[in-house]
Amino acid sequence: MEAASKTKTTLPNRLGIKGWAWAGRYKIERYLYTLHRLTGFGLLAYVALHLVANGSRLWGEGGWESTMNFLSNPGFKVGEYLVMAAFIYHALNGGRLMLQHLGFTLGKPKPPVYPYVDAMRRRRPLTLALLALIMGLAIYVLVAFIIYR
Amino acid sequence: MRENHLKILQYVTGIGLFFLVGGYHLLLMHLGKGDPESWSSVAQRAASAGWLTIYILILIFGIYHGLHGVRGLILELSLPNRAVKVLNWSIVLIGLAVFGYAVYIPIQAF
Repeated sequence: MEAASKTKTTLPNRLGIKGWAWAGRYKIERYLYTLHRLTGFGLLAYVALHLVANGSRLWGEGGWESTMNFLSNPGFKVGEYLVMAAFIYHALNGGRLMLQHLGFTLGKPKPPVYPYVDAMRRRRPLTLALLALIMGLAIYVLVAFIIYR
Repeated sequence: MRENHLKILQYVTGIGLFFLVGGYHLLLMHLGKGDPESWSSVAQRAASAGWLTIYILILIFGIYHGLHGVRGLILELSLPNRAVKVLNWSIVLIGLAVFGYAVYIPIQAF
């Protein structure tokens, strides 16, 4: 028994990537987690594009200006806004996940008395407040984009 | 224990990125004068030690946070130990290559 407990075992992830989209009756926190991953991928793609665009500095002023002209089309401007919105979401939801992982927002344990309410549901108002803040900041950035661009 | 340390670093770099990128954006887009994307502004920032320090910090934090995040997602696929080692080394090499490329640009361009 002791030897078996010392052996490193990995539980199979039977659902794989499909589990991101559907693994049963998800609550809102699970969808936020999925969106956290998607925004993370989006931000990584932006960083890659940003580094490639910055590489045009090596071609001198002409190369830089033509790259900036190319990137100033409306499609890229919409993409820029989506990057800002993804950054706001990823940062604030990341803060929520961090506080939860470290146990600060889970609350005190309670005896399981029917009707059962788990720690995540007890803290749902915090999640909803955070979502409202994210929406507010995303709208503010959108208005700033439209006014200043 | 090692994974815990890596996870704590993930948190630290995440918090660092929030303040660095947020502060950078605020300074450049809202408090700065002129077009921040013009050649003269870019050249001026690249010649400033302060801006370069911010860029390099963002770069280090960003590379670690992004690649460690991707590593975590791939590890969820329950890979065998050998594949995990290959993944770890690949992530380190990709990180170093991206860092080298990103630092080479300002050094070479100005």
